[in-house]
Amino acid sequence: MIMNSPLMIGFLALTFLTCGSAFFMLWTKNVLHAALAMFMTMLGLAGFYVLAFADIMAVSHLMIYVGGVLILILFGIMMTGQRASKTGETNELFTEQKGRFWAFTIGLSVFFGLSWLLGQQHFYAFADIDQHSKLGQVGLSFMLEYSFPFELTGVFLLIALVGATYIAKNHE
Amino acid sequence: MNEIPLIFFLWVGAFLFASGLSIILIKRNVIFVLMGVELMLNAANLNLIAFSRGDEQNQGLMMGLFVLVIGVCEMSIALAIILQVYRRFKKIDIDQFQSRN
Repeated sequence: MIMNSPLMIGFLALTFLTCGSAFFMLWTKNVLHAALAMFMTMLGLAGFYVLAFADIMAVSHLMIYVGGVLILILFGIMMTGQRASKTGETNELFTEQKGRFWAFTIGLSVFFGLSWLLGQQHFYAFADIDQHSKLGQVGLSFMLEYSFPFELTGVFLLIALVGATYIAKNHE
Repeated sequence: MNEIPLIFFLWVGAFLFASGLSIILIKRNVIFVLMGVELMLNAANLNLIAFSRGDEQNQGLMMGLFVLVIGVCEMSIALAIILQVYRRFKKIDIDQFQSRN
């Protein structure tokens, strides 16, 4: 049975990691702790990509999010002075929260609504799922049928990064 | 059959999406709100990857890789804008911006 296969046990562990740290991000008021929890969420998501047999996606997700975006967020937290909490501890950062009840209500109803909606559907089940590495296929697709979007995203990334450095410059 | 059912991936994606939405609604710090946006983006990406598991043409996987790049662009520009806002107003709370009617 699928329920006690090692794949499923790994999936459950990853679910606890990902959903637990996502909920901790929602719960905590400390923006630095939230960045740490986001790191755990991204690790769990990379594990999900591995379990969905998308290895190239898992590796690029780890490199881009854990290596790039999270460092960017940490720099953002450091360079915009966050308020300390009122308890006076030195490395407690404090974020205001507002409208907790409505946010939780909306979040819960979105979650249950989506789960119900997805449970109603009958998705076409693929007969055989390719469990091999997709690296070669993805590289070929980038060079063949997705070559124009590939170049376009490259130029877009260049423009966005140059624009970001220009915006972040000290205009005096 | 030795694969994880598709619906489990979709449930995790729904949970991540809902928690990202709640973070956006609750928190008053712009960096925190950006983290919520990233969480929602990744929830959608997880669905794309889960749906493309059995596709021979890997369409969802390619779309997910492009989404990753666009997410990075969005994040870097947003953080640059936040840095400028902080330089000008010395504060990055959402509530500090009031419309003048």
